[in-house]
Amino acid sequence: MCSVPAEAVMIEKKHIERVSENVWEIPKTFRHDMRVPVRLYADEELLDTALSDNSVLQLVNTATLPGVVKYAIAMPDIHQGYGFPIGGVVATRLPEGVISPGGVGYDINCGVRLLVSQVSVEEIEPYLEDIASRLYANCPSGVGAHGHLRLSDNELDQVLHEGSRWMLEKGYASREDLDRTEEFGRISAADAAFVSDHARERGRNQLGTLGAGNHFIEVDRVTEVYDQPTAARLGIYAGNVAVQIHCGSRGLGHQVCEDYVSRFQKTAQDYGIELPDRELVCAPFDSKEGKEYFRAMACAANFAFANRQLLAHMIRRSFEEMLTGEVKNLELQQVYDIAHNMAKVEEHNIDGRSLRVCVHRKGATRAFGPGSSVLPDSLRDLGQPVLIPGSMGTASYVLIGTKGAMEQTFGSTCHGAGRVMSRTKAKKTIRGTVLRDQLKSRGILICAGSMSGLAEEAPLAYKDVARVVEVVHMLGIGRKIARLEPVAVIKG
Amino acid sequence: MPRACLLSEVGVQVASFEEIEHTADRAFRVRGRNMADLLENAARAMQALDEPSSAREPSASEEIEVEGVDRESLLVNWLNEILYLEQARQLVCEEFHIAEIENRRLRAQIETRKCDRSQTHIKAVTFHNLHIREVSGGLEAEVVLDV
Repeated sequence: MCSVPAEAVMIEKKHIERVSENVWEIPKTFRHDMRVPVRLYADEELLDTALSDNSVLQLVNTATLPGVVKYAIAMPDIHQGYGFPIGGVVATRLPEGVISPGGVGYDINCGVRLLVSQVSVEEIEPYLEDIASRLYANCPSGVGAHGHLRLSDNELDQVLHEGSRWMLEKGYASREDLDRTEEFGRISAADAAFVSDHARERGRNQLGTLGAGNHFIEVDRVTEVYDQPTAARLGIYAGNVAVQIHCGSRGLGHQVCEDYVSRFQKTAQDYGIELPDRELVCAPFDSKEGKEYFRAMACAANFAFANRQLLAHMIRRSFEEMLTGEVKNLELQQVYDIAHNMAKVEEHNIDGRSLRVCVHRKGATRAFGPGSSVLPDSLRDLGQPVLIPGSMGTASYVLIGTKGAMEQTFGSTCHGAGRVMSRTKAKKTIRGTVLRDQLKSRGILICAGSMSGLAEEAPLAYKDVARVVEVVHMLGIGRKIARLEPVAVIKG
Repeated sequence: MPRACLLSEVGVQVASFEEIEHTADRAFRVRGRNMADLLENAARAMQALDEPSSAREPSASEEIEVEGVDRESLLVNWLNEILYLEQARQLVCEEFHIAEIENRRLRAQIETRKCDRSQTHIKAVTFHNLHIREVSGGLEAEVVLDV
């Protein structure tokens, strides 16, 4: 299958043309198998960082996918992944263009949810250690953690089909929560018949769990508001408490991706698709195999929406358990819940024509601008909230989707800071206990199951999220609304 | 670097696997005298990178069968099946023995220990740039793990 070894061509700055201040392009003449150019959205320093590993080569590989349109795009937080780079956006024309399970990744619908309160951090500060401990106890973490719900086969099917709507029926969600969730917390294409027994077994007991790696629950302080009227519409005010949840579809999603990447090794051959990397295997979206993956992916996505919803419920309960009678107006309202590993069917204007495309966002966030018909009434004139978590101990940002993102990047923007250092090197550079103490001295409480896992996520292993967000803001593919800084972090 | 596994071959000591630096995930280079040896060493490499804490309950044995469309997919499917046992059934897999390989299908015995929760930190084994090469003394491959 491998017609072009992926390492065959090294990419250097001399291969890259500067289109404008923060937009760079590699023309499709760069390699014979490219179907479209690639575009990198970055300032010069972030571009140099991207060129220090295989990220850009991985992006070039995605430009070979059958049906790819306009450009393969990299966000400023691009870093090396497997198959697709993290921070990549690739759209394929439907119906004949492909869908690639590797273009979504193993953690299907990994995403971020933000809750805000009308209570200041000072009011809860005396209880913060107790809140962090209760969150750690109520929101199980670690790769193999089990949640509080035990689902029968039938209930699991319902979660896979209904996502957050199942949580609403069971009393773990409000209608407002669903309104403030991408796709209203449910992708209707889901069909559990295409989810394997292995996937079901891996996910069955994991609903309401956080997982490990870079996943977290964070209690934050809103430290700066850049656009007061928009922030007020979202319920965000300086000094108040906010809570972020970052996690995905757990073992169920990992297994769905594994199943289809494995199966598509043959499928891609059957359709005569030649690729530079086997992790990019794909099938025409409209083929039997393509549809089956999309239906299974939607199940995993719904599982992830339900998972973050149950975690939000447990977070609200934890705050109530610790603060009822002590602090008034504790309500934690949902600002939004977004996915950053997903394939979506969307309409986009490409070269003056409206086209139906499959947008793969792998480590990239949907950022639809004002007027989008898929947004709830309460947000339609505003645009979609975008949540950009920073690395542990650093700031996170709330942005709003823009017209610029619709025009330039298939309605997409960045998803985080982006790694620059391997996990092994991070662990050699700093000990988890030292990092925990450093963060504590800066007023950030850490509850973590694994000190070596903590060291892997040290801020020094990541790019500067402020720089990434500034580039996104300057490019107009997201507009800054507010900055959050952590006061307590819960990790696996 | 995780604990190294040594393979003695015609009087020469060759490390059967080594970790490779990867920005976001984990990766290793593995060697084997033949396909069965490569598969066993790859499983050991994955375990070494994962560094599971020791489980308490006594050892048991699992027999599994895995298929692939070629050597590379057999390798990935084999490692992913080990992850499935570890995550879905809360086992720590400790010793690996390929009993039989025939036509891209294998049968293997795995020594396991039951624990109260899964110990693995690995989400999945990928096909990224995976190619099993013929090298002096056997086979070699580089495997990227999603963590």
